[in-house]
Amino acid sequence: MLTRDQALDALKTIVDPALESDIFSLGLIRNLEVADGHVSGELLIHRSAEASAELASKAQDALKAAGAEAAELSITTVASDGPAVDDKGGIPGVKNIIPIASGKGGVGKSTVTANLAVALQQTGARVGILDADVYGPSIPRILGATEPPTQGGRGMIPVNVHGLPMISTGFFIRKDQAVVWRGPMLAKMVDQLINQVEWGELDYLLLDLPPGTGDVQLTLCQRVALAGAVIVTTPQPVAVDIAEKAIIMFNQLKTPVVGVVENMSYYESRTTGERELIFGSGGAEILSRQWNVPVLGKIPLATTVRETADSGRPIVLEDPEAPASKAFHDAAARLIGEIQVRNAGAEKPVEINF
Amino acid sequence: MPRPEKISRHGSHDIEIQWDDGRQIVYPARALRLACPCAMCQDEMTGERIITDNALPILTYPTKIEPVGRYAIQIHWSDSHSTGIYTWEKLDALATEIGKSLPE
Repeated sequence: MLTRDQALDALKTIVDPALESDIFSLGLIRNLEVADGHVSGELLIHRSAEASAELASKAQDALKAAGAEAAELSITTVASDGPAVDDKGGIPGVKNIIPIASGKGGVGKSTVTANLAVALQQTGARVGILDADVYGPSIPRILGATEPPTQGGRGMIPVNVHGLPMISTGFFIRKDQAVVWRGPMLAKMVDQLINQVEWGELDYLLLDLPPGTGDVQLTLCQRVALAGAVIVTTPQPVAVDIAEKAIIMFNQLKTPVVGVVENMSYYESRTTGERELIFGSGGAEILSRQWNVPVLGKIPLATTVRETADSGRPIVLEDPEAPASKAFHDAAARLIGEIQVRNAGAEKPVEINF
Repeated sequence: MPRPEKISRHGSHDIEIQWDDGRQIVYPARALRLACPCAMCQDEMTGERIITDNALPILTYPTKIEPVGRYAIQIHWSDSHSTGIYTWEKLDALATEIGKSLPE
């Protein structure tokens, strides 16, 4: 009779070629049951529906070859619940709140946020973006949002851009003003963005944070239980050094860091295809080794990434086959698994009866 | 680092924390208030205590406890003080300083 271990071994032979990792290790298998030679479970979509259907079918064949009488892997797009999903430490209806942080400014945090959001959404997940970069809100431009949000019955209704509900601090500050605020005002703004927006049902809410380890980051980590943070860096030491500060902050606040995205990883010439390492190399690996966090992806430096971000249609939407889009899809695929793994092993929220 | 699983009332005013390593610790309310880590009760640079025993009403007790992210709790006290954020590290250290272990 097929044992659970044998079933797992069979699943571990099914590999996502681009990620060079198997569907079990990627954290995509849920609710696996093995009884009397029958195997059932769920496969979480991490790419397109077709890609997942193919993986599921291969996995079922592998399970049968390993001795299962029957094997049924159903495919799901629904993310697992993060550490808090209610109004006590969470945002009602939002399963996983994922801050995108960098430490250093100018590494492309907002571009990564927007493209990751689109890539996640293309798997069928429900995704929203909260642009909390009060000093330099750039998500509205990157996603091409023109209309401000409207007021609903219980709070603000996010703007819908390319199917993504989105709120940006940029909507509340006039173009000819800059945010020159002290801490308490920043905290108040963060509070309002968390409590007074009608997000609806979301699998993932990505938070585009301002650079640094200051009031906005601290307030966010205090108000909500975050599922896990993504750190964006470039390969160069000056960015890596400061990205480390962001990791240390999240460690202190007991928010797991689920991975590192290395942006501007290399430049590939459009004419010759030659690769140039403008910002050096190995930044993500240094962080990964030092802090034991996975590298989610390496995004090439490409004119098209910049152009599409400036024109309001992120490259993942505009040109899904571009190398940068593939890199974003891979990063999103890995992120889905990492969040799932954290949620499965996550400690339960502390129960307070007082 | 151990973390609390359950935080509840012990007796009429004290706080009981069940830790994930199995310990059950009772924190006397007044001692916990005196250990408040906020900037008004403790010098941020030197760690010197600013709040003094005789500045506090004899009967001081928590009125509300709220979670702070994934790393701490905030306690609202009967003397209207509420700015202290008690991290898991702080509560762990206080377990030996002011806590009483309950038999398992």
